[in-house]
Amino acid sequence: MNLVRFCCKLLLLIISVTFVSSSHAGVQLPDSFSNVSQVLSKNCVSCHSSAGKIRGGLDLSSKDKILEGGSSGQVLVPGRSTESLIIQMIMPGRSPHMPPKGQLSMIEIETLGKWIDGLSPADAKIKVSGKDHWAFKKLDNPSVPRVDKKGWINQPLDAYVLSRLEAKNLKPSPMADKITLIRRAYFDLIGLPPTSLAIQNFLNDSSPNAFEKVIDELLASPFYGERWGRHWLDLTRYADSGGFHNDVPRPNSWRYRDYVINSLNDDKSFAQFIREQLAGDEIENAGDEQLIATGFGRNGPSNDDNMGKAPQDIEKYRLDELDGVINTTFTTFMGMTLGCARCHDHKFDPISQKDYYQVLAIFNGTSKKDLPLLGNTLEKGKLKDPERGIMALVDTNAQPKPTHILWRGDLNNPGPVVRAAVPSVLSWKDWPIPEVAKNAKSSGRRISLADWIASPENPLTYRVLANRIWQHHFGRGIVETSGNFGRSGAIPSNPELLDHLAAWLIKNGGQWKAFHKYIMLSSTYQQASGSVAEFVSIDPDNRLHWRQNKRRLEAEAIRDSILYVSDSLNQGMGGPGIKPRIRSELLPASQRNKWPLIASEGPEHWRRSVYVYSKRQLLFPLLDLFDAPNTTDVCDCRLASIVPTQALLLMNDEFVDDQARRFAQSLINKHGIKQDVLIQQAYSKTLGRFPSGDRLHQACVFMDKQIAAHHESQSKTPDFDALVDLCHVLFNTNEFVFID
Amino acid sequence: MFKRREWLRRTGAGFGSLALASLLCQDGGAADRSSSPLASLAPHYPAKIRSVIFLFMYGGPSHVDLFDPKPTLAKYDGQAIPVFNQDDVFMSGKTKNIAMKSPYKFAKYGQSGIEISETYPELAKHADKLCIIRSMHCESNNHGPAIFQMNSGSILAGRPSIGSWLTYGLGTEGENLPGYVVMLDYQGAPINGAMNWSNGFMPAAYQGVPFRSGGEPIAYLSPPIGVTRGRQRARLDLLRQWNESHAAANPADSALAARIASYELAFRMQTHATEAVDLRGESAAIQNLYGLDNKTSHHFGRNCLLARRLVERGVRFIQLYSGGNEGPKAWDAHDDLKKNHDLHCAETDKPIAGLLTDLKNRGLLDTTLVIWGGEFGRTPTAERGKGRDHHARGFTMWMAGGGIRGGTIHGATDEFGYHAVENKVSVPDLHATILHLLGLDHKKLTFRFMGRDMRLTDVSGEVIKPILA
Repeated sequence: MNLVRFCCKLLLLIISVTFVSSSHAGVQLPDSFSNVSQVLSKNCVSCHSSAGKIRGGLDLSSKDKILEGGSSGQVLVPGRSTESLIIQMIMPGRSPHMPPKGQLSMIEIETLGKWIDGLSPADAKIKVSGKDHWAFKKLDNPSVPRVDKKGWINQPLDAYVLSRLEAKNLKPSPMADKITLIRRAYFDLIGLPPTSLAIQNFLNDSSPNAFEKVIDELLASPFYGERWGRHWLDLTRYADSGGFHNDVPRPNSWRYRDYVINSLNDDKSFAQFIREQLAGDEIENAGDEQLIATGFGRNGPSNDDNMGKAPQDIEKYRLDELDGVINTTFTTFMGMTLGCARCHDHKFDPISQKDYYQVLAIFNGTSKKDLPLLGNTLEKGKLKDPERGIMALVDTNAQPKPTHILWRGDLNNPGPVVRAAVPSVLSWKDWPIPEVAKNAKSSGRRISLADWIASPENPLTYRVLANRIWQHHFGRGIVETSGNFGRSGAIPSNPELLDHLAAWLIKNGGQWKAFHKYIMLSSTYQQASGSVAEFVSIDPDNRLHWRQNKRRLEAEAIRDSILYVSDSLNQGMGGPGIKPRIRSELLPASQRNKWPLIASEGPEHWRRSVYVYSKRQLLFPLLDLFDAPNTTDVCDCRLASIVPTQALLLMNDEFVDDQARRFAQSLINKHGIKQDVLIQQAYSKTLGRFPSGDRLHQACVFMDKQIAAHHESQSKTPDFDALVDLCHVLFNTNEFVFID
Repeated sequence: MFKRREWLRRTGAGFGSLALASLLCQDGGAADRSSSPLASLAPHYPAKIRSVIFLFMYGGPSHVDLFDPKPTLAKYDGQAIPVFNQDDVFMSGKTKNIAMKSPYKFAKYGQSGIEISETYPELAKHADKLCIIRSMHCESNNHGPAIFQMNSGSILAGRPSIGSWLTYGLGTEGENLPGYVVMLDYQGAPINGAMNWSNGFMPAAYQGVPFRSGGEPIAYLSPPIGVTRGRQRARLDLLRQWNESHAAANPADSALAARIASYELAFRMQTHATEAVDLRGESAAIQNLYGLDNKTSHHFGRNCLLARRLVERGVRFIQLYSGGNEGPKAWDAHDDLKKNHDLHCAETDKPIAGLLTDLKNRGLLDTTLVIWGGEFGRTPTAERGKGRDHHARGFTMWMAGGGIRGGTIHGATDEFGYHAVENKVSVPDLHATILHLLGLDHKKLTFRFMGRDMRLTDVSGEVIKPILA
């Protein structure tokens, strides 16, 4: 420790002792602002006063102005001088330092300090700009708006949509045809196309609740959790290896993935889902399931023994990892970009650096632990059977060491100690994190945070969730930046609709399945996706929902649908990640935790893509190229890019060719060898409908041409090969890859 | 087929805007990228160069043995040096404070008189083209984080690499090839694997595409066995017919047209990319210029020659790794500095010299930036007698080509080659300079992610003005 820093710490100690003792003694401090004013006038106001310059947006000319703070946030904490930035900045040796040149005397510093300690917390002011932001406001279910076309309303949410449309002279689109509707519902809820039988049953069912029956069936299917679990895994950075140097395998990570899938299939309440993932270990009678859930905090990339040897490097790495956990937590659950405040007060939102470090204090007692599953034991601190373990993030110290603010996020620049607290932005309701109980095994801080996030009074959590679910049913959220509800994020295209949906979710216990049904039974959801030229000019981006959006399928849905249609899909659930074939020339890209060379795939590889081993150093190409997340940060909203390398893969990868062959074989097995029957079946299984006369004709011409060509090239099975060609084409069509 | 710019004009409602929206949900800025994420964009100001070739000497080449001679180190050979700090050591227990003089002799070359060690005799002939930066420093002395930093600015995973930033900022010039190409050493990829050329939080379109030096250069470039080109074309013809009739029924949805075009582009890439790596058209003289006639240098030589061919075809950013896997297969000379660097210099000397000659002769050096360097340097002190450890406090990189003042030395380390002390250059400074040469302001090239306008250079970076021509 250098001399300056030593002196500085000593001074801090002296000051805190002095101030604390005077306030503890209950001495009534005089309002000494006149003395304070003198100190400030002498040293500060030449740069910080409305009479002259206001550097950094900070005006120190009056008590109120001081309390308002500067452009980077509050400069003092009423009652707590040592935690106040203004005191920090004027201490000798502090960097950055105020005033830039010169040094206040100790007596002057003491004058300011005593004044701050005499202020009451009620004096604190949060800047109006932040507090007023829509997303931080209390959530009320807005009243149902009046609309003209009442007959269109199927669900209350439709009224909120329709009133906006009518205000702009837009008309909702007609209802989609039944085939489009059932296909949309299948892809949305389970990520697979409907079978011919399911389509036929739906077409034949003329009862008013025919579509509701389809939805119920899909929500009851275990495919549902595999589809929506994947959406959740996008947010939580799930992967099966650590990345970095050795891409260390995580033999137990899949248990978290399975936990997510099962939780959604079980329609666990969202509050419980939050509690388990953030603080499963702090839930009473926590079992394997709750501990597995804490894998939420373990999913990020890691490089445990390789981030440097000096204690400083190791601590920095630990804080970097916790930063990942904090970011993921707040982005995922609350749409808050808290990470910005690690180095400075948030530039857009009323989140101070102190808020960040108070949240860090909540997590600061956690450690990454590999715990035994029931029946397995720890021996010498290691798992007896490492494959039967739980990747957990748990408190290992109920009395964690104090957390300091780190100015500019720099370990070498520690500021005052902060206590664990939730961010003050939502401070209309006190939510003190309880003091750690004596003899407690765990600090209990994370469960308190989880309860605060899950509380129906938290205005962000359910708005964010409603928006995320809506996004997957419409291709985009009502708030387009679904992970950023702050002031730098997008504003909601229909705020009343969003609030209505969030309130609906809360009223219905945060159950996802009921919410899907509520959305899908609406007229808004069931609209056709065709465009209307005159409406395009009014609302080109369809922000007001005058039609349904067309959407490109996600990577997993493309692969899974190919497997499903070909009758290849292995419906086995859960367990360690699978490693389908990756072309040999791509394998050298990762030299660690190597992917095996697969000569040919079999049923063990043909499982749903959510089970494909997520190897950070070499993401599975078919998924990676179609915009699967890179697993390092929260992925809120997948892109739907269109690039030629995707086309190359679907044209040329053996996978597609193999499946086209299997599809052709299964068609022949089921439907015989009559060409037009085979074409019709191939077509309807992939695209959900029979080909038009034109299309059938074109397919016949194509088949005949291909049969002739295969004859010519000495094929022993020219008819079969031609059918394979047709199947291959169908897998590549836009109609297969886009949802109407 | 219509050009990307026209797609953009055609974009009305529908997918185009949906695709845009999905871009917008992470990215605040790329409004005219609605249909093609790789559409060519104008730089912020006129660019000096069009392409970058980054010769990445993976493992950490030793600056004091190649470009930064230290007579004082020789004087201290076998003794402790005063600037040493045990905390800087990576191989604790093996690396001690014992100076090790360079086993190589240095001489002055060219009119500039730049000193280069005897390991790089061919490259030395180009001394007057080089700007040697002797004052590099970085934030980690471990391969994984340091490679991440050299590629993406951050020692942590998850940031887009510089090649991704360039293709995001400028798009591609040649439509038939990817804009960002990575070529690996024959020993395999460096550690971190494909994360090294990751697009991070950007769309996958900006990801580096690994290019193989022989056979099929890009994965999935040719159909599987049993599918001829003719059969493939027949499939594509029916596909196009159906996709076009579907698109015609949905005229407002421009993504449908974009996907049709992507298949045609992919079909053409099969030919163009194969042609790009086909060296049969290169004369023996040219091949020998790159050292293809030599067993040791032909691997890297081939990649260097390919790099020139890709530059000619408009590829924006080409990264060539020398050294693969780990340890002695890379420049990671822990055990025996001389043995390691003898090999890796021999592998790269003639190819790099050939590349500079060839680019110059073809008039391409003016519009191409060539960068040489690793993720860090090596300790002036010895590891286990004759090796050197990782060293991040000071090391050397060089640049040559468009916009660069050749024949110059920028910055300096202390007399032991330990700390960068004069005109220090950080990795963000280097990145800012590369962007600058391409006409991009590193403070303006941003991508909105998690509520922040992210930059390659994060919150630092200064263009290294003195090295600019």
